[in-house]
Amino acid sequence: MSIAVYIHSAAVLNAAGSECADLLGTPPSSQPLAFDATRRAYPLPTPRLASDLFDRKIQRSVEPQGLRLLHCVARLAPALAALNLPPARIALTAAIPEVDAPSPCWDAVQAIGEQPQKPLAQLLANTPPLHALTLLNSSVMAYVAEALQCHGPMGGFCSQDNAGLDALIEACQQIVEQRADAALVVSSSPNLTPALYLRDPHQASEAMYGEGAAALLLGLVPAPDTPITLRIAGFARGYSADPQRGAAVGRGVIDRALSVEKLRLGDVGQIVANPEDAQLMSLIADHPRDVRSARAMTGDLGASALLTEIALALHHTHTASATPGYTLLVSHSRAGHWGALLLASETMEEHT
Amino acid sequence: MSATRIVITGMGAVTGFGFEWQTLWEKMLGAEHCVRLWQPDGVEDGTFPVRYAAAVDMSLLPEALQDHPAWTFALEKRSRFGWVAATQAVNDSGLAPEQLRDAAVLCASGAPQHMLADMLLTQAPDGRAPGWQHLMPRAGEVNADGSLRQGNDRLARVIADGLGCEGPVINISSACAGASQAIGNAFQMIRRGEVSVAIAGGADSVLNLDTMAALYLLGAASSEQRWGVDLCRPFDRDRSGLIAGEGGGFVVLESLEHALARGATPYAEVLGFGSSLDAYKVTAPQPEGRGAALAMQAALDDAGLRAQQIDLINAHGTSTPLNDVAETLAIKSVFAEHKHYRSLAVSANKSQFGHLIAAAGAPECMVTALACLNDLVTPTVNLHELDEQCDLDYCAGQAVSRRVDFALSNSFGFGGLNTSLALGKYREHTQ
Repeated sequence: MSIAVYIHSAAVLNAAGSECADLLGTPPSSQPLAFDATRRAYPLPTPRLASDLFDRKIQRSVEPQGLRLLHCVARLAPALAALNLPPARIALTAAIPEVDAPSPCWDAVQAIGEQPQKPLAQLLANTPPLHALTLLNSSVMAYVAEALQCHGPMGGFCSQDNAGLDALIEACQQIVEQRADAALVVSSSPNLTPALYLRDPHQASEAMYGEGAAALLLGLVPAPDTPITLRIAGFARGYSADPQRGAAVGRGVIDRALSVEKLRLGDVGQIVANPEDAQLMSLIADHPRDVRSARAMTGDLGASALLTEIALALHHTHTASATPGYTLLVSHSRAGHWGALLLASETMEEHT
Repeated sequence: MSATRIVITGMGAVTGFGFEWQTLWEKMLGAEHCVRLWQPDGVEDGTFPVRYAAAVDMSLLPEALQDHPAWTFALEKRSRFGWVAATQAVNDSGLAPEQLRDAAVLCASGAPQHMLADMLLTQAPDGRAPGWQHLMPRAGEVNADGSLRQGNDRLARVIADGLGCEGPVINISSACAGASQAIGNAFQMIRRGEVSVAIAGGADSVLNLDTMAALYLLGAASSEQRWGVDLCRPFDRDRSGLIAGEGGGFVVLESLEHALARGATPYAEVLGFGSSLDAYKVTAPQPEGRGAALAMQAALDDAGLRAQQIDLINAHGTSTPLNDVAETLAIKSVFAEHKHYRSLAVSANKSQFGHLIAAAGAPECMVTALACLNDLVTPTVNLHELDEQCDLDYCAGQAVSRRVDFALSNSFGFGGLNTSLALGKYREHTQ
């Protein structure tokens, strides 16, 4: 890329904790789902938002997945403010699943149950006027933009699987193409609801979902006083739901991400990938090395999984044992999306 | 920016006017609209407060589309419309299946289609508070074509699977700016060289009890009765809120090189894309149109156009009291030099086929492209008495024949998510 884009700061929230270092601790125990004790997952208590940044009403009117995201974003506010940028030069991209909560709120559902002969009257009488806001992920983007004063380019992405990569790429390109000087990339996993398990029952039977959120601040400069920086060096994405074509598409995606820096897979120091994805692992089997994943600490975080892994990669650059080199993050969704992201860890001397 | 030129070579639209873009265009030039009396399924006594909408009329389905798998797959209604529109766009482009293998699919989908019947499955049998735990034992009763069974990105994947596309498959959610973002992002992906072909657009339907009730309670949907089916009145002093439509729209975008190599004839050229955030209030646009102006200026800058070169603005024009004034002010600020705003044609489409919400930007982009192609501007219908703060040339009442070399198509989403696409008349050589 003609212009270097750095991972400046990161914030996470998941079952392991709210600090990136927590992802290196002891794996938490999964818990039975509140609505189905036969399944286990990594749920989170709903966080409280800082009232100095967000209107108090938001705590009541936003779904837990949005609150998790806002909780992360709040912790990036000081770093963003320190960049001292005009609001129009700050981009915001988001990977947020749509809310699976009931469209009529629970009060309305209960009221209709009590008077089923008058469903319309009960629906209208028992749904708060602003309830629609809880269902729209654009509302969450609006709260972020308002609180952190982002007036610049935006992009909203929504899927359980690949939206995190799409949001990251869009944010990065806004900086590369000089429409923004910094970008917030925000993401959230969906709430744990039956929808996760009903949409694809076969695949969901093996899934261990988690609740979480992650947010990144991208910039033209790395955070100050960081001896090793993390730069976005390449990315690629593709798709195939055809099992016969999946490996070829995945291989092509990895090759394209590496080609930006003229690398081969053997040049990469570390790979981040789901070790339980047999097709993905077959693509890197010829290059045995440490394959890591935070998934065992968090469960499958869906749209916020990639950003959580990036946050962990950034944390590694802050440790005493950090060394320069490349990290390749490869994702493969159940639906068939492939993504590859190449990160370069560099000493400050390498780019000054 | 690179010298890669990007053109529109295929279009497909499903709206209340029918299932082909040609019908949409013809009806719009004739100043018709397709807003009709409407009530949600299950409300038989006409008591739902929102009485009008621009619903898709299935009796208009042409024979050639009656066997489309969209009508038999388990899909949300919006996805059926979107899949058909995407198929129409690809057929219109003349692209062969092998030319689609590396194509990207970018699709804006609206809010999930929650079903009241599904939600009532959460009721406790003994009168206790409802909850998901009561639904799971009755999971077999959950509707196959509602949001509990259909992920938000289902349409994007269905399109890609059906066409064999192996490029990026991206689901976009930015409220009413969604389809415009999809087209803008597709344009950028081709310009960057990530792909050569993209199918981009969106689909949405809010015409169900749950979503329309939520929009009504929010105060966004009009329940005005005075004007009958003519109640959608962008920029009119008597406008009262949005009138929902439903449907889908997709365009095929290609690099010009790719299009010419296979002998395609472009409809129009996509020149730029801009987006912005109001960062104001979740329920209202910034009153001076600051965010809208930023998006339009960003689209102009991206296209390398001066404001004075723009001939037409396809306005977001929702017929809501707040949007139409803010958009007018935004246009006046961007086109202030030499008061160019007085020379602009401004046209709003939502009084003709309703507000397609997440999909709105797609048919509106097509109408803008056709304006560039044909030098014809569709009218803003039902505009009779201008709001005193809306003082531009909105092409009220009837289509206008005028040269359109360059145009903007605006889409502004709920929560202050703004987009603007810059389009131009296709010429063999750039000026």
